[in-house]
Amino acid sequence: MPDSPRHNLPVEPNRFIGRERDLDDLRDLIGETRVVTLCGVGGIGKTRLALRVAAGLVPSFPGGVWLVELARIGRPELVDHEIAQVLGVSEEPGTPLLDTVTARLRGQRCLLLLDNCEHLIDRSAHVVSALVSACPSLRVLATSREPLRIAGELVWRVPPLDLPDDASADAESVRLFLDRAAAVGTRLGPESLPDVVRLCRALDGLPLALELAAARTSLLSPGRIAGRLDDRFLLLTTGGRTAPARQRTLLAAVEWSYDLLSPGEQVLLRRLSVFAGDFDLELAERVCAAPPIAAGEILDLLGGLVDKSLVLCDETRARYWLLETIKRYALERLDRAGERGALRERHLRVLCDLLGHHFAVELTAPREPWERRLAAARASRRLMDDQRAALDWAAESGNVALGLRLCRTSTGLLPLGGNVTEIVGWVERLLALDTGDVPAEEIAHSLAYLAYGLEARDELSRSLELARRSLAGLAPDEVFPRCVMHSLIVVVLLRMGRADEALHHAEEGLALATASGDTWNQAAGLAGLSAVALTRGRLREAQRLGEEALARAREHGHRWIMARTAVQLGCVAEARGDLVTAKEQYEQAVPWLRELGGDLELARCLARIGRVAALLHEFGVARERLAASLDLSRATGQRQGVARCLVGLSVLAECEGDIEGAVLAAAAAAALREAIGQHFATLRIEELLGRARTKLGEGRTAALWSRGRTMSPDDAARHVLDGERPAPRAPAAAEPVRRSLLTARELEIAGLLTRGLSNRAIAEELVISPATVARHIANIMEKLGYTSRAQIAVWAAEQPRSVT
Amino acid sequence: MCAQVALLTVFPMDERIVMVDSGTGLKLTEEQLDERSAVAAIHLRHAGVRPGDTVLICLPVGPDLLVATDAVIAAGGVVWPLPAHLDAPVLRDRIQESGARVMISNVREALDAAEESRVRIVLSMADLSGEPAAPRRP
Repeated sequence: MPDSPRHNLPVEPNRFIGRERDLDDLRDLIGETRVVTLCGVGGIGKTRLALRVAAGLVPSFPGGVWLVELARIGRPELVDHEIAQVLGVSEEPGTPLLDTVTARLRGQRCLLLLDNCEHLIDRSAHVVSALVSACPSLRVLATSREPLRIAGELVWRVPPLDLPDDASADAESVRLFLDRAAAVGTRLGPESLPDVVRLCRALDGLPLALELAAARTSLLSPGRIAGRLDDRFLLLTTGGRTAPARQRTLLAAVEWSYDLLSPGEQVLLRRLSVFAGDFDLELAERVCAAPPIAAGEILDLLGGLVDKSLVLCDETRARYWLLETIKRYALERLDRAGERGALRERHLRVLCDLLGHHFAVELTAPREPWERRLAAARASRRLMDDQRAALDWAAESGNVALGLRLCRTSTGLLPLGGNVTEIVGWVERLLALDTGDVPAEEIAHSLAYLAYGLEARDELSRSLELARRSLAGLAPDEVFPRCVMHSLIVVVLLRMGRADEALHHAEEGLALATASGDTWNQAAGLAGLSAVALTRGRLREAQRLGEEALARAREHGHRWIMARTAVQLGCVAEARGDLVTAKEQYEQAVPWLRELGGDLELARCLARIGRVAALLHEFGVARERLAASLDLSRATGQRQGVARCLVGLSVLAECEGDIEGAVLAAAAAAALREAIGQHFATLRIEELLGRARTKLGEGRTAALWSRGRTMSPDDAARHVLDGERPAPRAPAAAEPVRRSLLTARELEIAGLLTRGLSNRAIAEELVISPATVARHIANIMEKLGYTSRAQIAVWAAEQPRSVT
Repeated sequence: MCAQVALLTVFPMDERIVMVDSGTGLKLTEEQLDERSAVAAIHLRHAGVRPGDTVLICLPVGPDLLVATDAVIAAGGVVWPLPAHLDAPVLRDRIQESGARVMISNVREALDAAEESRVRIVLSMADLSGEPAAPRRP
């Protein structure tokens, strides 16, 4: 969407110091090089440099600059998910997620910043390689301790900050130290400069080490810190005695800083390493409070860790996080303290409790105001990375029961949360483990959500089978999932064309929901009954049931179910030919879906409005809605959605009397559907082609159809949206512009090149040195964007005589 | 590209031999030297080499060394050659002293010695030949 921000870079937590030339160079490099990897040891400032570079490049990338923090995830297959999530791309049924991401990025000038690739280096390399080879305008900036080792990668080794030399103390490292010391309230005068210089040298200019040291200046003078660190280098207790010097230096600084913490701070810091990404105070209290620290102490301890630069936080202290290097060190200490298993277990349990609570507030609790439901939905989504980490632990530790419980209380993993099929992978992974001590009812419950995900993935018969198994195994008092299963079966059976069987399930689900007072499922059941009636052509019944469904949905208040029932009413109105009402019903759902951030449903709904508006001859509205829908589908990578919009645009064109445009758009839609493996001829296309043949003749229609099939979806869409004809490729930049870039001397040398002269011969002719000629030629090549001398000769030969 | 081929046949470049590799006997013509160093110079510019920048070169004696040297000069840089046979500590010191941001080498000892230096980019001769990934267009 044009008005959404074109980057997701965080606000910088403090001043960025130095590296001006590096920033300049890197920004230029990224223009020229598809993949740049910033390499170096932990703590050397890779992430910070990458963020700074990327921030300066936002104006150069109309497709956006997107930060993907891989430190949040632990398993290779999640790399694709994480990228998709950042880009707002949803999985397409039947298509590997990476393909969808690739299709979304193709043709976009955008920059992906993949931060901290080292622990997932193979998958990162594979993904980057696949993306850049398919997307010529894409640029990737990665940070990693190791290079990706893929073709076309430029490895850029991040050096430490410049150190002061004997002549002057004004160096990047000193400036950073003084800035961070000032941030903790220490004003260091000129008398302490020699000690600061000594300290910067001892810490080899490593930014993280300098920051940790500077954070201590309120209690220790730079001279004393330097003295203690000197001892420290001899006393490294963690591994890495044989590691490279920079790594040892950093480790010594981190360890020194850790050892200076109070016992409580030490315990908390190592426990904070269990969080996948950022966390708030409440989560820290729930997971980390256990002897020897109490929940009430955590706020103060956390504040202490922030003061010592070991924990970072935003301005309002709402979110806290650890730098990757610190997190790894903390994790190692947690391991050594023998607390890792217990902590991850508690993390899993706390997430189960939290998500169970959010699930209840969002969906099952009666009479919650919408604001509270929405807040719960958002809180649940914010915990996605931690959910994945907890699920990983459940699988790793064989705690299948808790893992399954987490799966079924996580709306973020469900299609409802805009996450089409992730739930499928998790439930399948957990069920493949030893389920011996998992209660049968828990398994039946998890099958319900597996079936739900499979429907979204268009695997209808498997979904149906599992939904039936789930129903058979669910305890009678598990009313909510039972109702959800009935509704799901209704949807699946209707999609399979089995309306009679669907009726029974819709009735049973509604009866259960009515008995238990569950308004969500009452609405879903009534909507299902309305859909069954509609399929059977009973329009009045479908209308009445749909109205009742919407009333129940309003009672519940969740925008998702309200939108769903409104759309059902729109479909019923369309079926009876009442387009005005249909459009009103669809329009009603739009703000609800927007509020929810349900992009997939919103795109579908906008396309419906566009099509109906076209039939009503409200062409302006139709254009605007179809364009918005197209943008959303493109942004979320849904090619099926793009095809849907093209069909809508075809209707619009025909209603406007542009039958040629209608054929082109329909052909482009058909080609796109075939490309993504959806083969269905629709009646409408046949009818459209019939009308076109009558009007334009057989030959012209066939020609238009085949032209439309080769048009890109974007070109076809623009054709109808703007009445724009795809122009032949713009001619290369005008020659006079290029000529004026060259100096007189360069033009002269270009002219001499057409005679096939060597640098030496040109040098003799012009009485200059061959090295100077070579330098002129390098300048010419750079200005004209050429890659060989011969190209200059060809160009010069084609110039008007005056050049030669 | 057709025009280019035609042009090259009409105007044969200078075939004069300017170097012979004593190991392999391979000859480098003046045309090859000019062309290869011009391409390498562009790669160096793209890698961020600016006029006055020091560029380390650690390559065995031979045509590549000549091409790399000419390329650094053509790019406006200052050549800082490193003999490949130096001891590791000496190599490390020299790399440190140079203050170079870019090094051209495929010599293992030099690559290792550059590990903890302030060299940002290490390029091999293969990196400096062939079409630059995305030529800048005016």
